[in-house]
Amino acid sequence: MLELKNIKKIFNIGTPDETVLFDHFDFTMREGDFVSIIGSNGSGKTTLLNLICGSAYPDEGAVLFKGRDITRLSEYKRARYIGRVFQDPKAGTCSDLTILENMALADHKHGRYGLGVGVNRRHIDRYRSLLETCDMGLENRMNVKVGSLSGGQRQALALVIANMSDIELLILDEHTAALDPRSGEIIMHLTEKLVRQRNLTTLMVTHNLRYALAYGERLVMMHEGTIILDKNGEEKRRTKMDDLLDTFNEISIERGN
Amino acid sequence: MLSFFSSCSVFLEDGFMYAILAMGYYVSYTILDFPDLTVEGTVLSGGVTYAMLARAGISPWIAILAALFAGAFFGAITGILHVKLHIRPLLCGILVSTALISVNLVVSVLVMGGNIRGEDALTTIPVGRAVPTILNTYPARWLPNDIGGFHVRKIVAFFAVALLFKILLDLFLKTKAGLLLRAVGSNQQFVSMLAQNPGVSKIIGLALGNGFAAVSGALIVQSRGNANQGMGLGMIVIGLASLIIGVSILKNVRRIKPSTMVIIGSVIYQACLAAAAMLGVPTAYNKLIMAVLFTTALVFSDRIKHQKGKDAHA
Ligand SMILES: Nc1ncnc2c1ncn2[C@@H]1O[C@H](COP(=O)(O)OP(=O)(O)OP(=O)(O)O)[C@@H](O)[C@H]1O
Ligand SMILES: [Mg+2]
Repeated sequence: MLELKNIKKIFNIGTPDETVLFDHFDFTMREGDFVSIIGSNGSGKTTLLNLICGSAYPDEGAVLFKGRDITRLSEYKRARYIGRVFQDPKAGTCSDLTILENMALADHKHGRYGLGVGVNRRHIDRYRSLLETCDMGLENRMNVKVGSLSGGQRQALALVIANMSDIELLILDEHTAALDPRSGEIIMHLTEKLVRQRNLTTLMVTHNLRYALAYGERLVMMHEGTIILDKNGEEKRRTKMDDLLDTFNEISIERGN
Repeated sequence: MLSFFSSCSVFLEDGFMYAILAMGYYVSYTILDFPDLTVEGTVLSGGVTYAMLARAGISPWIAILAALFAGAFFGAITGILHVKLHIRPLLCGILVSTALISVNLVVSVLVMGGNIRGEDALTTIPVGRAVPTILNTYPARWLPNDIGGFHVRKIVAFFAVALLFKILLDLFLKTKAGLLLRAVGSNQQFVSMLAQNPGVSKIIGLALGNGFAAVSGALIVQSRGNANQGMGLGMIVIGLASLIIGVSILKNVRRIKPSTMVIIGSVIYQACLAAAAMLGVPTAYNKLIMAVLFTTALVFSDRIKHQKGKDAHA
């Protein structure tokens, strides 16, 4: 379903700070896959997601979605079939708009944004029940500006919003990192429920090794722009927390610290 | 006493007249976070468009509508320069308003039947008594022109136009396109994730802002009785200062719409200028007073901005 072929990504090209992050990088995902990605800070996880979503373009190589070359397709055009929750809790929602207005906008993703009524009162009950699934009391604060919510609440709202329209690919970048343990659990359950219900192809970045092991049928570990571990199905189920920690340690030794 | 009344009268007229420009600034500056310098040109374009059509005997209301479209067109060019060619906001405004100096001048000379190459071509378009304005046609004609030095007709007519555009703006901001416009100013990536081109919303916003500026221009010409080439000067400060004064003074009032704040801000700003004039400050100091008032307003609004904190554009 998704294919990154022979990707090269260079930052600050032509300056003394030039860094090559990806070189001859390949990555594929099948339809219906739930892939978890782990890896140290700066290993290129967010950049990989940016290349998939069109927030950044590769310097070489191709990105294919359902066999179609989307390497140069702009971010907003890809968003038609991609939903995304960003690492930055502020990025997935609009501070200056209320929860209700945010949801009303997201609800309309596949339509035209013309001169029709912006917030249709008839849908409020549906929005409310969506918010109830987060169990954070957001359903009682629908007319509050999103800017006044906490980071965790915003992230939960961002997840709901990303799932409001018909998408085929769900991209999650550490979407539970800003949440307290209890909310994190709730949101992970919610994530899995949504993914199962709609049979979404999902790519989830996380620093929580337990989530990475417990959710999804494939586990990928990245390091300095390469995939150093890729376990699928049965192989993944046999992987233990200690195996992952060992691999992390090996990397650090290699680095010399 | 009579002079006091007529001073009050003038700042009300001017306040409503410039309120439309300030509402346009609300769209470009507050909503889109785009410091738009194009208005120096589009105010005059609006004035020239109105004068040209009205002198041909066309209804002043249709002429105002045409001014709106002319301003919106030039505003859209600013937007396209920014979105498609990635030119910085300030530069886009400078480029388009500079180009408009020529456009407005050429159109004015042609309207006056002059030769563009001619040395002594007339560049000011007079709008005499015979030219239809919203003041000398119905429905405003039913009102008395003047009661005890108070220009009732002008105040009511200009207030009505300001109110009309306020209502249109409020309605627009409630539509899907309006919500999307507000979203673009707050978080561009959010709009991208809604599968909408954020650039399109920006262009629409700038078209709207400059359309409103041009309507103000059309009213200025009807009030002053001519469209002259220097008319656009200082419009950025008038628009921005009215907007910022209105918003900083009324920010704690509950359930007040931004457009209402802006109209009140515009009247307050003109009242300050009128007060200075009444105190005997020569009009030569006007622009200096404007700048000082504006600086004061900016200091206050900056405090608000810091408290509020904007979204990081990820
Ligand atoms: N726009 C950019 N300009 C320059 N360098 C960049 C840019 N974006 C990413 N990088 C660099 O690329 C590398 C990978 O960054 P990336 O954000 O993909 O890491 P990550 O795996 O998501 O890390 P984290 O776990 O901390 O979120 C880093 O070294 C980073 O400095
Ligand atoms: Mg990251």
